[in-house]
Amino acid sequence: MKAVVLLSAGRHPNSGAPMPVRAELQAIALGRRLGCIVGGLHAGAADKAIADCLGHGLATIAVLAIGPDDDPIPALAAEIAAIAPDLILAGRRGQGGADTGLLPYRLARACDLPIAADAVAIAREADDTLSVVQSLPRGARRRLSLRTPALVTVHQAAPPERPFVYRERLAGRIDEKPGLCVPAQAIGFENRPYRPRPRLIGDGAAGGSAEQRLRAATETKSVGGTLMIDPDPADAAAAILDYLTAFRARS
Amino acid sequence: MSRIRRDPRAALLAVTVATRPRLRIDRAHRGDGLRADPAPSAIAETPPRRIAIADPAYLVFAVADVPGGTLTRHDRQVLGAARLLDGGNQAAVVLVAPHTDEDVGALGADRTLPGARNVSYDPEGVAAAIAAAIAHHRPRHVLFPESADGGDLARRVAALLDEPLFDSVENLSARVAIRPATARRLEWRAAPSRLMTIAPDMIAPYRGSPHDAAPLDAPVPNPESRCILNAERVAVDAADIPLDEAALVIAAGNGVTDFAGFLELALALGATPGASRVVCDAGHLPRRLQVGASGTVLNADCYVAFGISGAPQHLQGIGQVEHVIAVNTDLHAAMIARAELAIVADAQAIMPALLDALESRR
Ligand SMILES: Cc1cc2nc3c(=O)[nH]c(=O)nc-3n(C[C@H](O)[C@H](O)[C@H](O)COP(=O)(O)OP(=O)(O)OC[C@H]3O[C@@H](n4cnc5c(N)ncnc54)[C@H](O)[C@@H]3O)c2cc1C
Ligand SMILES: Nc1ncnc2c1ncn2[C@@H]1O[C@H](COP(=O)(O)O)[C@@H](O)[C@H]1O
Repeated sequence: MKAVVLLSAGRHPNSGAPMPVRAELQAIALGRRLGCIVGGLHAGAADKAIADCLGHGLATIAVLAIGPDDDPIPALAAEIAAIAPDLILAGRRGQGGADTGLLPYRLARACDLPIAADAVAIAREADDTLSVVQSLPRGARRRLSLRTPALVTVHQAAPPERPFVYRERLAGRIDEKPGLCVPAQAIGFENRPYRPRPRLIGDGAAGGSAEQRLRAATETKSVGGTLMIDPDPADAAAAILDYLTAFRARS
Repeated sequence: MSRIRRDPRAALLAVTVATRPRLRIDRAHRGDGLRADPAPSAIAETPPRRIAIADPAYLVFAVADVPGGTLTRHDRQVLGAARLLDGGNQAAVVLVAPHTDEDVGALGADRTLPGARNVSYDPEGVAAAIAAAIAHHRPRHVLFPESADGGDLARRVAALLDEPLFDSVENLSARVAIRPATARRLEWRAAPSRLMTIAPDMIAPYRGSPHDAAPLDAPVPNPESRCILNAERVAVDAADIPLDEAALVIAAGNGVTDFAGFLELALALGATPGASRVVCDAGHLPRRLQVGASGTVLNADCYVAFGISGAPQHLQGIGQVEHVIAVNTDLHAAMIARAELAIVADAQAIMPALLDALESRR
């Protein structure tokens, strides 16, 4: 079985230095666990972030040279059609570019492949089907069956990446070739340094005055609920269970 | 020289929040001025008038997850975000979600578009249905929650329509939407685009007068997909769920002595175990279970505290939790005040009683 891992040019969140994206390294590890022949694929320039992926368990990376303002989809779709892999793995979101997480979906549409998001485990079910375990919020998991070829994005809760091995990094090969250059659809926006904004606490408080917000965040307010003083243990247990069954449904 | 003169009294009244016990002025106030005027009983008696937008200038879609028929906090925030784009009640906000019995008008929906989701997990079919609804109704904006399933759906729809997606919006107004980019070193600002996803806990839910949630005509068809052959939930052991993701947490404090019984109870309830710092310091339970300022901040729906006094450092860890149950021998413990269901009793008596009750209900 052949697998391709889509690699993006990651940047360190604080320093901005080139650095591989963790989810993509985890994707390499997932592909190798499946027993696939795993290759890397990147559309853009071969920078240090891409080359460092070799040290985490890739033998070859194909780099499709396109300009910085070109759309990677046509180049990637043409290459995928040429190599016809059984499985395409991607990170759920890049780190250092637009970081929209949209690329795998657009590529799946361009290649007419099924896509499943947020995988933490992949296993082979039959010759042409895979079972993919998805990570959901609240620690829940969902198992899907997919027909190959398919595109799967990897969640950060997947098993950890393989450690960096310098010898593998030296032995690995980067094949650079020209890619299909199509200018990307421009979206007009203004760039500013990121400013962290306050998160909502509780289910309200916003929109009130500064005093109300301060009070909501700091005060222990009595919610005026039910109070049982020295009840019979059995009654108390029944009350707790009734309460829990009423609210468990919400998760 | 015929400039309209400003009425200083009216301007003051508009920013006055209260007159009693003292005069309070808030210039950032966005409501209708003085609320604390006399005759509050008369205000309380009139039922809130429902705002009906019969002839909307344009539509704003709010696509919600609605797992198990109830709107999540995040879903309500998406409706609140949609109301920010309504141009002062000119547009109609359409809630696109599976059927729910909740009063979605109070959350800001003018219309509902039900039936856009079926029982089995079929994201491709749902995305196709929503894309068809967008092509039919031509909304100016479509907002999704940036949640696991909502974010997946938004990207599928964006790929189907071949349109850009402005995702994880953290700040939104009628003129500008802001999202983080380049690993949160930069932020992008742009006029609100057509497809957007809303980051969790950044935009407040709608708090204004209720709207009139009428069903929109022409429900969307539900095409079947071919890609996902089979989908099922996998049973996970609650004790393996990371504490900050768990939905139900039961925690032991210094008032608990039988920790084996406590863990057994957690297993029987399907709850993730937690602890106060004193318990972790003493080595009764591992450090990774600590709840609080120097431990884990919970995102749970429900929290059950056995023998925990409710020190501020501990309460910080459960600031987000809506439903709290406390069992404590001290009536005046802060935890008892914080709890919706407070039981003043010995934790060692309640825990076995709970196990027995669970046995008998099974
Ligand atoms: C910098 C700093 C950081 C901290 N961070 C944290 C943190 O992250 N998390 C945290 O939890 N704490 C933290 N603490 C400690 C915190 O201040 C409290 O000391 C701690 O939370 C108290 O734990 P407790 O409620 O279990 O114990 P206690 O305060 O001893 O309370 C025990 C409670 O159990 C009740 N009780 C006794 N016997 C029984 C019984 N048989 N049945 C039922 N109830 C009974 C008592 O009435 C009492 O209310 C921090 C402190 C500092 C200074
Ligand atoms: N230029 C690229 N070439 C190949 N794969 C990419 C490229 N950009 C992004 N990807 C893949 O798409 C995922 C999501 O990226 P993004 O849509 O930029 O957030 C990344 O984790 C990569 O796996």
